[in-house]
Order: sequence, then structure tokens, then C-alpha cells
Amino acid sequence: MRLARVEGNVVATRKHPSLEGWRLVVCQPINLEGEDDGTPVVAIDPHGAGMHQRVIVSSDGAAARYAVGDNRSPVRMMISGIIDKTEENAA
Amino acid sequence: MRLGKVIGRVTLSQMIPAFEGGRWLVVNPYTRDLFQNGDTPPDGLSAEPSLVVFDALGGDVGQTIGFIEGREAASPFSEPTPVDAINAALVDTVYHAPKK
Repeated sequence: MRLARVEGNVVATRKHPSLEGWRLVVCQPINLEGEDDGTPVVAIDPHGAGMHQRVIVSSDGAAARYAVGDNRSPVRMMISGIIDKTEENAA
Repeated sequence: MRLGKVIGRVTLSQMIPAFEGGRWLVVNPYTRDLFQNGDTPPDGLSAEPSLVVFDALGGDVGQTIGFIEGREAASPFSEPTPVDAINAALVDTVYHAPKK
């Protein structure tokens, strides 16, 4: 799972049938300081994350297939939670 | 899923039967600095390595697609298939507003 910031959304009419009806959001992976860390990924969003909100993105295909209810779906990235706060424990 | 621009096509004369009916696209993935915002793909190429993507949706050169990499790319096939990246969406519009 990665920390990420929501930075946009994607509209696609022609897509794999299992993605029909799902919100697709652009997630920018970030580090604990909130700096960009990696190329943006597009994830399905069952929670309705808002713009620039911090989220955790799971890359577990099995769980995402279960969420969309199609075990032949190629879906992989899924927003699994919206972050309230993160803490760093240096000790 | 990542987004990228289709920059070419690959034609195969011999392939395993599971691939018949599909096409192969050469895709250049977008980075944060080179990302589509709106209806048209950005100009130029990113420094990310381009890759070959299996396509059953009908993507073409100049379009933006959403492709999925990894084991999951093989899940739409009914038998274990040696495929590593698959086109999952033909992208119409992207709204991208990077913070800062």
C-alpha cells in the first residue's frame, strides 16, 4: 500500500466492463512529508475521496477484483482508505 | 492502472491462440510533469520506458489509454497467459490538478 494524494479524475467511456460505474481517480504517490514519490496511478475509488485529499492506495488485485465483483477483471489499484493524519515516530 | 499515450503498434504473425483477436500497442507512460489535462494528450514523450500493451478495446496511435501492469493483466484470459500489461480503458478526458 502507498500513501498518495488525489490529484484528478479520469473519464473513459470505453473500458473493461468491470470498471463500469466506478469512479477513477488519479493518485500521486507521496512520502510522509507529502512530497511526490513516483508516477501517478489511477485507482478505483469506493469512498469518494476529495481533491488533494490524502489516501492509501492498495495494489492488491485479488481484493480489487472482489470489490468490483468480477473475478476476470484486470483491476488492481484501489483506494482503501482516506487519511485523517499520519504520525512519524523517530524512536 | 497508469495512463499513457499510444505511440505505435506491434503486429505479430505467430502468437499463442489466446492472443488472437487482440492488438498490441506501444505506450509511453505519463509522469507527473507530463500528464494529460483535458481532452488531448500532452506533446512529447516522458522519460519513462515505453512498453507493449495487449489491447482488446481498439486503442490507436495518438490516444490516451489506461493500462494495467502485473499479474492482473492476465486475469481476463480464461487460461494462464503470458501477458504483462493490458489496456483497460480508452481515456476521453482527464482532469489533473497537481498540488503546488
